[in-house]
Amino acid sequence: MEKRESMWDAYLRKGMSRRSFIKGCVALTSLMGLSTDMVSKVVEAAETKPLPVVVWIHGHECTGCDESFIRSAAPLASDVVLNSIALEYDHLLSAACGEPFEAHLDQTIEKYKGQYILAVEGAVSTKDNGIYCMSGGHTFTHLLQKAAANSMAIIAYGTCAASGGIQAAAPNPTGSAGISHFVGGKPVVNVPGCPPIPEVMTGVVMHLALFGTLPPLDSQGRPKQFFGNRLHDTCYRRPFFDAGMFAENYDDAGAKAGWCLYKLGCRGPETYCSCGNLRWFQGMSYPVQSGAACIGCTNADFWDSGANLSERLAKYGPLGDVDKIGVALTAATAVGVAAHAAASVVQKKTSAKHEGEQVTKE
Amino acid sequence: MKEEKRKIYYLFSPFLRIFHWIMVVCIITLFVTGILITKPLQVMVAEPTYTMMSMDLIRNIHFVAAFLFCAAFILRIYGFIVNKGDRLFPRVWEGHFYWETIDVAMHYMLLKPHHAPFLRNPLARMSYAGLYVMVLIEILTGFAMYFMTEPSNIGGMLFGWVNVILGGELMTHLVHHYVAWAIILFAIGHVYMVLRADIMEAEGEASSMFSGVKFLEHVPRDANEVETQKR
Repeated sequence: MEKRESMWDAYLRKGMSRRSFIKGCVALTSLMGLSTDMVSKVVEAAETKPLPVVVWIHGHECTGCDESFIRSAAPLASDVVLNSIALEYDHLLSAACGEPFEAHLDQTIEKYKGQYILAVEGAVSTKDNGIYCMSGGHTFTHLLQKAAANSMAIIAYGTCAASGGIQAAAPNPTGSAGISHFVGGKPVVNVPGCPPIPEVMTGVVMHLALFGTLPPLDSQGRPKQFFGNRLHDTCYRRPFFDAGMFAENYDDAGAKAGWCLYKLGCRGPETYCSCGNLRWFQGMSYPVQSGAACIGCTNADFWDSGANLSERLAKYGPLGDVDKIGVALTAATAVGVAAHAAASVVQKKTSAKHEGEQVTKE
Repeated sequence: MKEEKRKIYYLFSPFLRIFHWIMVVCIITLFVTGILITKPLQVMVAEPTYTMMSMDLIRNIHFVAAFLFCAAFILRIYGFIVNKGDRLFPRVWEGHFYWETIDVAMHYMLLKPHHAPFLRNPLARMSYAGLYVMVLIEILTGFAMYFMTEPSNIGGMLFGWVNVILGGELMTHLVHHYVAWAIILFAIGHVYMVLRADIMEAEGEASSMFSGVKFLEHVPRDANEVETQKR
């Protein structure tokens, strides 16, 4: 195997200065959510570690995650793809196609056995032997298992890969599911989101690339540095929540003034993501900032949460939500109690009368 | 005037009685503030800095009441350990318990004019076990939401699994909300049953939660469960 160049080698080859290399490393460190005293380790890794080979495959999905990825600004997606990782195979970004392209995948898997990072977008379609998602004459399940078996680690990009995504919504006609059950025990980093924030995507792949280890993960396999906080706790509209200032409708004065969207079904209190900290597209905005309630796209099954996405609580038929049902049940209980009390009085009187009769008979 | 010979039975230790009234205050507070958290009131003033009932304050009241409730529950469990007369759960391992429950249930379904005398009504004891289960669900789901502001701290580690088991934090919110209504329905039934027993059986059912004693005419079936004639 020929020697693969490191990030520093790539900088040298391009005639870029040591200064810009260090600057890049500092930017990477903060991007990966590490403290600044880790800069030296990042520099060391970037100098010595060969550029990681990445194989990026697409399953049952819309490729929106890739669309998000190529909009990463810090680092630039082009920089990541050309300088920081060796992207050997990508359904969406590759210029090549057809049989040579498929053959290249086989060669890559063979050549970098156990060394490449497998990035997966999209769910696995399981119904009817997986025929609902096929490429190159094979099912996606087949491709995923082949690629996963020889990979170093797997990144599940997007809610589809993490937990099935929109196509797994009830009634789930294609039997879609997240990839974690199909990769045979290989470590998986879940990066949910529909799509995930571009910088989160680059940050995770760079962490794996530079350190060769998984970032610290939470109970759902998501990197803690990007999914460690509730959106609600990091939202810039939180002061409006605390003060009790809410938009009641999307067209009222509160919505116009940028008040809290809690009453409009914002999923911020249940959603873990970096939207509040990193925001999107160089910190330009995020859904809540743009005036739309969070739909909780990093949550598994967010499309089937029971409640309408614009409602705080689920509604059940004509009665409405649980509060209305609760009030109705309370009223019904009160009526029942009153009826029972009346019946008890009647029973006591009749039984007393009965007993009195018995006494006189005796 | 009718004169009756009644025996005094000392049932409820101060631990239990104090816990009961703390629970009453806490449940009412928690329910009202909880509903306000789900369906917040709109602050209708132009200067929210000076409002008294902000969402922040309502949430803080909710949290203080919740912690007070938990602390009182610990006190109750301690009282159960140190007082021989206190009971936490019905004695479901004793076979006659079920027959007695059915007997009392028949009475409350108005099928029987009387039920056998008890110090602790077995049907009520079953319902309290149900209440404790509901309270436990509220505590678990409540802490699961409360501590997840920082999932990697000790509280998040202790209660974070609840969110995973219920399938997402939104479900935790909903379960917390539904069970709160169930507790209120329980409370209505409980208050009615107690007042009914107090009026119809005149054994001091309502006052026993203040004084700790009940007055029974007949020897109760579960007389062996209290320490004999403390006073």
